[in-house]
Amino acid sequence: MTTQTQPSRRGFITAATGGLTLSFLLPEINRLGELQAAVPGTVNTWLQIATDNTITLTIGASEMGQGSFSALAQILAEDLMVDYAKIRTVQAQPSVTSTRPVGASINTVGSSVTRTNFWKMRDAGAIARELLVQAAMNLKGDQTRANFIASNATVKHVPSNTLLAYGSLAAAAAALAPPSSAPLVPDSQFRLIGKTQTRIDIPEKVNGKAKYGIDIRIPGMVYAVIKHCPSFGGTLASQPTTPRGMLAVVPTQVIAGTGRGTEVTGAVNAVAVVGPNTWDTWQAVKSLNVSWNLPANAANLNNAKFMADADALLASATPYVAGGANPPGTLYTVESMGTPGTAIAASPKKLDATYTLPYVAHACMEVLNCTVNYVPGISCEVWAPTQSARAVLQLAMLITGMAANQIVVRTTYLGGGLGRKAETDFVSQAIQVAMAVRKPVMLMWPREQDFTRDQYRPMAKVHVTAGLDASANITGWSYRNVSPSILGQRGSVLGPKGDSQGIEAANALPYNFGARLTEWVSHPSPIPVGFWRSVGASINTFAVECMIDELAAAAGMDGYNFRRAKLTDPRWIRVLDEAAKLGNWTSPVSSGRARGIAIGTAFNSIVAEVVEISAATATGVKINRVSCAIDCYVAVNPGGIQAQLQGGIVHAINAALYGQQTFVNGAAQASNFNKSRMIRLQEMPQIDTFIIPNPGAADRALNIGGAGELGVPTFAPALANAYFKLTGNRLRGLPLFPGATMGGL
Amino acid sequence: MATLQLNVNGQNYAVNVSNPDMPLLWVIRDLIGLTGTKYGCGIEVCGACTVLIDGQREHACVFDASSAVGKKVVTIEGLSADSSHPAQKAWVANQVPQCGYCQSGVIMTVAGAMKAGHHGSEILSEVKNLCVCGTYQRIRQAAAML
Repeated sequence: MTTQTQPSRRGFITAATGGLTLSFLLPEINRLGELQAAVPGTVNTWLQIATDNTITLTIGASEMGQGSFSALAQILAEDLMVDYAKIRTVQAQPSVTSTRPVGASINTVGSSVTRTNFWKMRDAGAIARELLVQAAMNLKGDQTRANFIASNATVKHVPSNTLLAYGSLAAAAAALAPPSSAPLVPDSQFRLIGKTQTRIDIPEKVNGKAKYGIDIRIPGMVYAVIKHCPSFGGTLASQPTTPRGMLAVVPTQVIAGTGRGTEVTGAVNAVAVVGPNTWDTWQAVKSLNVSWNLPANAANLNNAKFMADADALLASATPYVAGGANPPGTLYTVESMGTPGTAIAASPKKLDATYTLPYVAHACMEVLNCTVNYVPGISCEVWAPTQSARAVLQLAMLITGMAANQIVVRTTYLGGGLGRKAETDFVSQAIQVAMAVRKPVMLMWPREQDFTRDQYRPMAKVHVTAGLDASANITGWSYRNVSPSILGQRGSVLGPKGDSQGIEAANALPYNFGARLTEWVSHPSPIPVGFWRSVGASINTFAVECMIDELAAAAGMDGYNFRRAKLTDPRWIRVLDEAAKLGNWTSPVSSGRARGIAIGTAFNSIVAEVVEISAATATGVKINRVSCAIDCYVAVNPGGIQAQLQGGIVHAINAALYGQQTFVNGAAQASNFNKSRMIRLQEMPQIDTFIIPNPGAADRALNIGGAGELGVPTFAPALANAYFKLTGNRLRGLPLFPGATMGGL
Repeated sequence: MATLQLNVNGQNYAVNVSNPDMPLLWVIRDLIGLTGTKYGCGIEVCGACTVLIDGQREHACVFDASSAVGKKVVTIEGLSADSSHPAQKAWVANQVPQCGYCQSGVIMTVAGAMKAGHHGSEILSEVKNLCVCGTYQRIRQAAAML
């Protein structure tokens, strides 16, 4: 058995232990990229081909139902020339130092895992294949590459008609220096890419075997249940007495880097009761008498104040000053071309509308939880359903003071992530509790805590004015979004264009707007906000596409034709056309029904939806059908993309119809699903999807798009536009049915 | 303290509980250690905790463990030994789960509806479970096979 480390130009390292191992760094998307530089030179992914013919891909991304593991294995198998089903995928543990195949973390955010790793996986597969072929060439004493064919995990020497299994070549291949590149399978010969494959994780998700964070069981473990101050910004006034039968009541503080807005570092904002099982502990929490100090500004933490502040900032805000303090309430100019104010004022038709969006909770099916086994001075093992395993590792190092090699982070399956599990507040609490009780402990947030102590999708008020000339040209477009800053709450110093997350899908729109001005204002509300499936696009696409529809109506034009006439990007036009075709846009709609359309972009993909509705009343609307077209450049697993679009659309339906969180004295009001309705199967529309065929997968210059969050942004505006056609009423505020409740099963 | 004699997936368990009204969900998950049955809402709204008790669908998050004494409890782990229940097969064939967290409850609901003699769309009218991932369309496709 040999061990050798040999970095190549592309950063592949072979390190043989019982076969061929290629280790490499997959690039990752970090939503806090403005805050944290990537860790250079870190290996985070391993491909191992063992002498027993097993092929293992050890990878640090998180699996939350989006199918990333399967997609990466699928891409790898293409160029490695193996059967996709033969690749074993292993969840990596994060490491900041290790070059051993324990894996590392890849932040699983931004619909990024497949799109950002496509080429790296292909190169890895191709380079490993060529190393194996070279080993076969050496073995056969024949250096003519054309005499060898790699397929089905074997290398065939054609002249001698010899078949050599990859496993038999792996040890010899490991001793070779990896080439800097290797030829990729031509698009025309794809066996896997672009073809629907079954997902690796599904079999254990139908029989109870899949282990989520909340399913971790350690011998001798105890259970902790969290109770936060009901009001954001509140802190513990005095240490509560430990209830009978309970082990401890552990105060938990906000650890640096985990608190947002009101939740400042060092504040003790929660207690965790520790007991023998979840239920008894939870009961003790319910009856625990805790006194809290409410923040001085608690009375201001309510919706009326948030709306009043937003209105004031729509009217007037202090512009950004380079190098200045730029406190919340600062106006950032995102893009400016010409003088839209003058152009609109001179236009025969002027439109002016304000769109309002609420705070929305994530409400993952699996509540926040984390399990920690802390052995003082020795080790700290963390099991977490996390989208940010490396951040968990760094947090554990910070809290425990231990070195990286004393800490093990085990990423479990996530019962939904939706952006919430990219945060680490719940992890920090579990580590604090484990250090206090010195027993393996699972900390869980009851559903009521999960709803009321979220880091919400930001609220927003967006004011848009636009002008039309007599020929239905848009003369000017002026757009101002006032919303709390996700990055600002994470300590990021915002540049002249404000929060990159807040302006997503608001700028550089390929519409012929004439003069345009896009502005973003940081709203001062300190209610914690965070990344929520599709982030800024969930706000901006609503405002943009509703106003486009209002312009179309003012011009007396059909919403589809109007957009088609104003769009300047052929890819957008194609997507719009395909959604319209799929949604039968040009066919008459059945009596009592209406259709709306919207288009937008997120994470390099373009998506359009046609929504068909009927039966609008004061309390409900029937969504009959949603037709969705997407251009994501390269579609690795079409069936997976379809599932993600369906899921994204349901996420958007829940938010558009019912989703909102409101606050009174800093306390969130909707505390469970009964107070924050979501659709059940009976309300599910028919969803049809169309994926624009690949423009050419082998072009590295192409920017591959994501799919996981893409169903979300265009649904709400398409719904609002259909609603206008059906009822004559413009829907400028979400949700459509605020305060809707839901009954039991 | 009370000791409850429970039969779960054909096995007998003697479980010590602090209070006999501990919901069956937590007895199954924390005391017996079968974690396939999930906690979602705790108020009988989401259905993630659905199990069969003497063949009837029940929501374990609000079902007193003491009321299960003398009855046969079936969880997702006991639905079949090898994922061969028709609902499980249909779920794999239609690639239904995404995050999968709610699916134990959905499959147990479907299994209960099938046990009651329902098919296809009759089953679907019984499925009120919440799925935040939004797998409803594939649930429809899968149930159509049953």
